[in-house]
Amino acid sequence: MSVPAVEVTNLTKVFPVSLRKEYVVAVDNLSFQVNAGEVYGLIGPNGSGKSTSMKVVLGLMAPTEGETRIFGVSSRDVRARNDIGFLPENPYFYKHLSGAETLKFYGKLCGMRGRDLKDRIGELLELVGLEHAKDRRLGGYSKGMLQRIGLAQALIQRPRLVILDEPTAGVDPVGSRQIRDLILKLKEDGISVFLCSHLLEQVQEVCDEVGIIFEGRMRREGKLEDLVSIGNQTSLVLENASSELVDKIERLIETEGDGAELVEKGNPRTTLERMFIRIASSEKQEKEEN
Amino acid sequence: MRAILEKYPRWIPIVAVILVFGLIRTPIEKSLRSQLIETHLLQPPPARTTLGALKQSSLMGMLGGLRSMVAVYLTLKAYEHFGVMEWDEVESTYDLITSLEPREEFHWVHRIWHRGINAVASVEVNDDLTPAERQRRFDLYSTQAIEIGEAALEQLPNSVKIREQMAEVYREKLRDYCGAAKMYGEMKDLPGAMQYSTRFYGYFLAKCPGNEQKAYDHLYGLYVETMSNLDRKGERGFVDHRAPTLIITLKELEEKLDIPISQRIPDPHPDEGLKRRNRPTGRLPGGVGIP
Amino acid sequence: MADSEPANQKPAGRTALISVGRIWTIAASTFTQLVRMKTFYFLLAFAVLLVAAGNLNILFSAVEQLSMIKKVSFGTMDLFAWLFAIVATALLIPRDLEDRTLYTILSKPVLRIEYLLGKLIGVLVVILLSLVTMFVIFSALLHIRTIDFLHTEVAILEQAGRSQEMIQAEAEAIIAQGLRKEMWVALWAIFLKSAVVASVTIFLSTIASSSLFTIIISTIIFLVGHASQMMIDFWKDQFVDNIVVKMLAGLFRIIVPDYQIFSFYEGIILGEKVLPHLVWSMTGMSLFYVGVFLLLGLLVFFDKEF
Ligand SMILES: Nc1ncnc2c1ncn2[C@@H]1O[C@H](COP(=O)(O)OP(=O)(O)OP(=O)(O)O)[C@@H](O)[C@H]1O
Ligand SMILES: [Mg+2]
Repeated sequence: MSVPAVEVTNLTKVFPVSLRKEYVVAVDNLSFQVNAGEVYGLIGPNGSGKSTSMKVVLGLMAPTEGETRIFGVSSRDVRARNDIGFLPENPYFYKHLSGAETLKFYGKLCGMRGRDLKDRIGELLELVGLEHAKDRRLGGYSKGMLQRIGLAQALIQRPRLVILDEPTAGVDPVGSRQIRDLILKLKEDGISVFLCSHLLEQVQEVCDEVGIIFEGRMRREGKLEDLVSIGNQTSLVLENASSELVDKIERLIETEGDGAELVEKGNPRTTLERMFIRIASSEKQEKEEN
Repeated sequence: MRAILEKYPRWIPIVAVILVFGLIRTPIEKSLRSQLIETHLLQPPPARTTLGALKQSSLMGMLGGLRSMVAVYLTLKAYEHFGVMEWDEVESTYDLITSLEPREEFHWVHRIWHRGINAVASVEVNDDLTPAERQRRFDLYSTQAIEIGEAALEQLPNSVKIREQMAEVYREKLRDYCGAAKMYGEMKDLPGAMQYSTRFYGYFLAKCPGNEQKAYDHLYGLYVETMSNLDRKGERGFVDHRAPTLIITLKELEEKLDIPISQRIPDPHPDEGLKRRNRPTGRLPGGVGIP
Repeated sequence: MADSEPANQKPAGRTALISVGRIWTIAASTFTQLVRMKTFYFLLAFAVLLVAAGNLNILFSAVEQLSMIKKVSFGTMDLFAWLFAIVATALLIPRDLEDRTLYTILSKPVLRIEYLLGKLIGVLVVILLSLVTMFVIFSALLHIRTIDFLHTEVAILEQAGRSQEMIQAEAEAIIAQGLRKEMWVALWAIFLKSAVVASVTIFLSTIASSSLFTIIISTIIFLVGHASQMMIDFWKDQFVDNIVVKMLAGLFRIIVPDYQIFSFYEGIILGEKVLPHLVWSMTGMSLFYVGVFLLLGLLVFFDKEF
């Protein structure tokens, strides 16, 4: 059994507010593990303590109690950060630097230089699809581009673990699709990913394991399918069904249902998201054909 | 290390570092300060620590790098006042300027010149004043000019130009030839003094009652020195003191002191002309000397 | 502090030692940031100011006009240096925090001292380069004006039939106002002051919650630091026998930096001589200041939470 990528044990983080009279318990006795090579998603509503946990893991904050380790090294040790790439929520980088310069800056901070760094920058720009904008200053980047350059920045030193805080927040469905594809690719390459989001749907396809956090406490944890499937329900989608047929089925349930109940009925709609992606990708195809 | 630090509130080590640093650096700073003042790189604090002086000087101290800029600004301001003959404003502005930069020679020269020459001259020709008032202001301004000069010499004891300017006030306004002689006498031995100052010392000493013998000895000494070095004429370092005024003054003194004919100097050779050179007028002092 | 780590999982590269490369990377980025904020346009304004000051057509003597050029130039350099040291230093860290750039930097293997040092060095390099540029502009102008004055003054005096001795003296007076090697020392003095001011500001900015607060407090300390000696002298003079006042004055001196001694360039500009050992001592003193205030900054910053 290899060392877990992230190990959070009994983490508690308390913030003093209004001059040491009141406290906010942001994270309350939280424990979980991100196994090496896995994608772990921390899901919870706003203010549930996701970002706080990540900052403690990153060593940006000290835990009030408990401890966090990265590949077995305490978060407080700078050396732990050799192995991490981090993308904060709504990241902004130095506006005065271009995309390529940004990557160079972070690469150098990680002790990279020369050919190695140059090649890596080219590789990453291609990976996140920003080659065309690499010489533009970040001041002129859109939110999605910033998110992608942020991701590239996180990957610059080939870390074994990537920590992503709301990687798809504020990004359109096409963009978040790309980001999710990227995450899957990272997983293929054996990189562990620890991400958080307040939208389950946004991350469900990529996470191997999910923790659901609320008010600083872990509420549910486990494999995604186990968490989302509702065992005692069955859904039935019909095409070209007459209203008589539907009535008949309903009646059948009432008479011979044996306790079964109709929970939901209506016309299923394709999700907005799915539609958006379809339109956008077909347009893109057209463009490419022209 | 971190464990120790985390035990106590953070302000404790911070305050400790500040205090220890302060204790170490204050004696060093004190000695550095006095060395910097000694070498005139830093301006010493005012001698009289009155509240007024404090307000002024701490304000100036606070100016930091602005001090010299303020001095420049005030110089321009004083020049404006000078243009419209507001003599009291000129003086008060220069008072500030010289306390900002007490070791800048030309500030002092200007200040004396404005007070002792310009202000006095304008009083002399001011017909709006009663004769008594004219006299009162004349006396006030010219003595003030001399006081300013004395304060200036405290700051710059070796200044030739300040003495020159004071001598002018003595000579042209106060007609105090003893005072002028004293200035030239001090000047002549200072580095950077003009050759004429030693002769002028003699001329004005001659006009200072009771000093005729001293004057004669001095001027005769210069004459003899020149004559004995005549073979070096044209070389560097040779000074020809036989100026027309020197010859005339010596002759007057010979008469006055009844010097025996045999010891009197010969009449000037007609070629060693008594012609005077033109001298330009109306230039500001500081850059160019008066005579 | 070393945590036990499994041998097969040894993290690559990073040791816990300070890395010059990393500091330099941060300093260089700070430098580009400041440069791309168009700070160097200030130099243009400086050149214009100098040319204006050098051509004030007023009835002052050559010596005075040259001295004015020097004072205005060095005054401006000093003003620029300390103001820039305060404002730039106060703005940089809070801005990194606001933009969350700090998170990305500190989540790389960067020591916090490296970050602080990098920022400080970046600001100081900008100041030093600006000062040198200003000095070069100034030197050129002063040199031109000196030669200019020398010719016209000598011509005027010769025409007036002045003695050679007097012309010589005037020429020497003009040359004495011209360029001197010691002016580099004056420039260095200005730089030292700005380095001290910047390090005090960086300490303040680690405690402060806003740039504005840092700028105001640092400026107040700057001003009080210039007047502190006089205030102390005054108190001691006014309350000779008062033990309490004496102790308060002592405490005041211990807490407030004596910025005034760093203004020793003013004497150099007025033409005073400089003793090398004093320059060394002042340089050492400045380094001491920078070191201590960095340490103070680090005390706050090393486990600060963001
Ligand atoms: N520096 C801080 N000082 C005081 N309280 C804080 C601080 N940071 C976070 N909190 C509080 O801790 C709680 C958790 O915040 P956190 O940012 O971790 O939530 P989150 O799950 O990331 O939310 P979101 O989805 O909105 O990003 C919140 O109630 C927040 O107000
Ligand atoms: Mg968050």
